[in-house]
Amino acid sequence: MSTETDDSGALRSLVPPEQIDRLFSVCDAHGWKLLAAGAVVGALPPVLGLQQGYIMTVLSEMYLFAVLALSWDIVGGQTGYPSFGNMAFFGIGAYTSGILFKDFAVAFPVAFLVAGVVATVFALFIGAIVLRLRGHYFAIATLGVLLAAQQVSRNLDITGGASGKILLNGPDGAVFYYLFLGLLVVEAAVVYYLSDTRFGFVLNAIRDDEGKATAMGFNTTYYKTAAWGIAALFTGFAGGAYSLFNTFINPQTAYNGAWNVELIAMALLGGSGTVAGPIIGAFGLHTIIELVESHAVGWQLVLLGLSVIVTVIAIPEGVVGSLREYASQMEYYKRGGMAATDDTAEDGDQPDDAPPAGGDSA
Amino acid sequence: MAATQFIVNGLLVGALFAAVAVGFALIWGVVDIINLAHGEMVMLGGYTSYWALTLVTGNAEGSPILFLATIPIAIGAMFVVGYALQRVLVSQVIGTDIFLTLLVTFGASIAIQQLAIQAWSANPRSIQVSFASPSFTVGGVVVPKMKLVAFVGAILLTVALYAFLQRTRTGRAIRAVSQNPEAAALVGIDVERTRAITFGLSSAIAGGVGAFIGVILNIQPQMGLIYTLKSFVIVVFGGVGSIPGAMVGGLLLGSVEELVAGFISSQWTLAVSFSLLIVLLVVKPKGLFGEGVSE
Repeated sequence: MSTETDDSGALRSLVPPEQIDRLFSVCDAHGWKLLAAGAVVGALPPVLGLQQGYIMTVLSEMYLFAVLALSWDIVGGQTGYPSFGNMAFFGIGAYTSGILFKDFAVAFPVAFLVAGVVATVFALFIGAIVLRLRGHYFAIATLGVLLAAQQVSRNLDITGGASGKILLNGPDGAVFYYLFLGLLVVEAAVVYYLSDTRFGFVLNAIRDDEGKATAMGFNTTYYKTAAWGIAALFTGFAGGAYSLFNTFINPQTAYNGAWNVELIAMALLGGSGTVAGPIIGAFGLHTIIELVESHAVGWQLVLLGLSVIVTVIAIPEGVVGSLREYASQMEYYKRGGMAATDDTAEDGDQPDDAPPAGGDSA
Repeated sequence: MAATQFIVNGLLVGALFAAVAVGFALIWGVVDIINLAHGEMVMLGGYTSYWALTLVTGNAEGSPILFLATIPIAIGAMFVVGYALQRVLVSQVIGTDIFLTLLVTFGASIAIQQLAIQAWSANPRSIQVSFASPSFTVGGVVVPKMKLVAFVGAILLTVALYAFLQRTRTGRAIRAVSQNPEAAALVGIDVERTRAITFGLSSAIAGGVGAFIGVILNIQPQMGLIYTLKSFVIVVFGGVGSIPGAMVGGLLLGSVEELVAGFISSQWTLAVSFSLLIVLLVVKPKGLFGEGVSE
């Protein structure tokens, strides 16, 4: 996917540059149509008779990762607080639903809902502490939170200690398929909606210059804590569903450090700070990792590390970000390259400013 | 009585943590990078010593002299790795977003760790040295011989690094770059090369410590992250850019961990150190000795 940006000739004939910005622009009716179409296509496989099996599992995991990457991006990409500890919310959600389901015989739907709530409450509590930090300190503190949570659940009795919990007799595979798909669609809609509201604008303002955002009179603590809570809610739901989907949890799987990097890599690879980016990144990277895992077991994490390095160095803006940059450059040349580059185009907050029709520049 | 024993154990291991943290602090101070692959240098240093010994004796057992002879090899190998890491990867992202620099080193950490698993399996290994037992007993406190050797070795490595920074021309260049890279470049210092040497030196000291860890504890491919995070706790405690601060922080962290292990349970040591990290970051981000870095 990344090579496409270099191969501009072929790409240009495939997708006219003027269309790219429109395709990924944050707020117009086009995005809602895209989302609805995605939801319908996503709902098809079980209807077409694909109920169980490998493909269903892989697709479910793909949606799961997209939910996690998008959640990370609400705080990491939109607000500019790069967390290394999002899997803590996932793990807390997973343990909450697992313990409720197994030890207290609570029905799965209730356990699932409680998992999201518990993860959010935990996040608000932790957020009040760590969101005061910035940069290096924030990243490391969140990593510390993740590892501390992992260690605590390894040592408690209620979590089953290091050996974990086996969770049988949950709902069957198709339920989880729709659950993860539904979570993804709802979350994408929420993020998409928020990015056109004051809430979303303030988050981006915090990312760009928190001092100025505060000076303008916004209570940045409120906004970033709320964003952190939303991220934790969806991550907690995902974890709450995952424990029964996987039928097993232990500290290693619930607070999976490699996943934590994977979801950051997905958001970055696709393009952080956008709605489509983390989803595209999750689908792409998960497919690649799944392929590597099925052909060369054990090498998928090597690939993950390398892909993080290559992404950061080669396309720090991600696929979507690079495409949009390319599109705005094309627009610039087309207009004769006289006017100063339009800073605002980069933010993507502009409702598409009437790209000139008939983009047959190829 | 028990408390004294725990504190002595803590100080002995703490010196190793401190030496690792000194390297971490050096990179942070000079290159302005949090090197999340720092712990992997400890791991690789341990394996270098392990395999060097195995090459000579056929298994990872040997006399103390033979083991000590492997330490310069570990140090040299890790200097090269650190130097290359800076030249090839880190220099690409210096001056960009802080988060990208964190991710590059984190990516390197995962890749190195996983390659090590592929190469040497995930089993823990340790280096056996023939004279390790029996231990000394001083005033009722038991001091294992190898822990004492490792303690002295770690202190020597730290002192050597400190002397290098204070006494040599390259050391002065490193300090100049840490204070003001632009001004250092103006007076003719090759900033990129100096940064790479800094990376090499701090990886080298981590590698040397890794060899000692192979003797008194054990080494395995996934050990690195814990040492990176412990270094972070220590540096935050001692203050960024302060070598004495890192020494004190390391000894203190070692003691706290041993006390927790002794009086509560060894299962809780990591949870306690990570919680301590978060508390420290919030309560005292400038550290005990450091001038502090706001971002």
